[in-house]
Amino acid sequence: MSGTSEPTTTPRPTGSGFGRLLVAVYGVLALAAVARSAYQLVLKLDEAPLAYWLSAFAATVYVVATVALARGTGAWRTVAWCAVVTEALGVLVVGTDSVLQPEAYPDATVWSVYGQGYGFVPLVLPFVGIWWLWRTRSGGEPGTESEAS
Amino acid sequence: MVLPLLLLAVVLCAALAGWALWFVVRDRAVILKQLFGAAAVEAVLVVQAVVAGVLQATTDHPVDGPLFWGYLVTAAIVLPIAAVWAFAERTKWSSVVLFVAAVTVAFLEWRLWQIWGAAA
Repeated sequence: MSGTSEPTTTPRPTGSGFGRLLVAVYGVLALAAVARSAYQLVLKLDEAPLAYWLSAFAATVYVVATVALARGTGAWRTVAWCAVVTEALGVLVVGTDSVLQPEAYPDATVWSVYGQGYGFVPLVLPFVGIWWLWRTRSGGEPGTESEAS
Repeated sequence: MVLPLLLLAVVLCAALAGWALWFVVRDRAVILKQLFGAAAVEAVLVVQAVVAGVLQATTDHPVDGPLFWGYLVTAAIVLPIAAVWAFAERTKWSSVVLFVAAVTVAFLEWRLWQIWGAAA
């Protein structure tokens, strides 16, 4: 096989190509989650402590995911994996729990009812993130800018 | 909050989003004219902030202040981030980012309207 581009074993940076869109959407969600949880924690913590601490945790994870995906190389990939898997589990567990016992969540979190308050973006995004991390695990795949070098 | 101002912001955002989307299709990076468009949206946001501040100070319109201002400030920082991105990245992905940013601001405007009206 004497192809023009040699397949490499080095993962492609997650922040390139389609990854830009992913980072941008993650950034928006992180911004929304941080702003909301700051408001909730500072002004309304007594009303629904569980929901608000959960919001703060989710916000932190989204910020970590945004930064890790934007960096996208070396150890940042591992961090990104941990973050997106945490999000996937979070939205599934909290989403299910909030449907089964809504009384435990007097106010909404990012993950309530599978992210309904955010157009279900929190439900879709981690799986897109997982797919993207999986796809970029090795460089030199066809149809990407990495082969154009 | 004045409805015409809000509608103006939403219409400008929609136009900017459409323009950016067209550039994504054409595989082009963000151009300076589009950033002027973004600056126009920012100007409307500033006027909105002033109007909302005056209305809050001079009338007894009940509104969740921190929530409202949180959304307004958040809306104001989205497009500048996209602009910085546009300078850093001269590919079509900067247009994708501008599109996402414009849609986000339009959505935040809609939320601002809800928050302003919810307490009335």
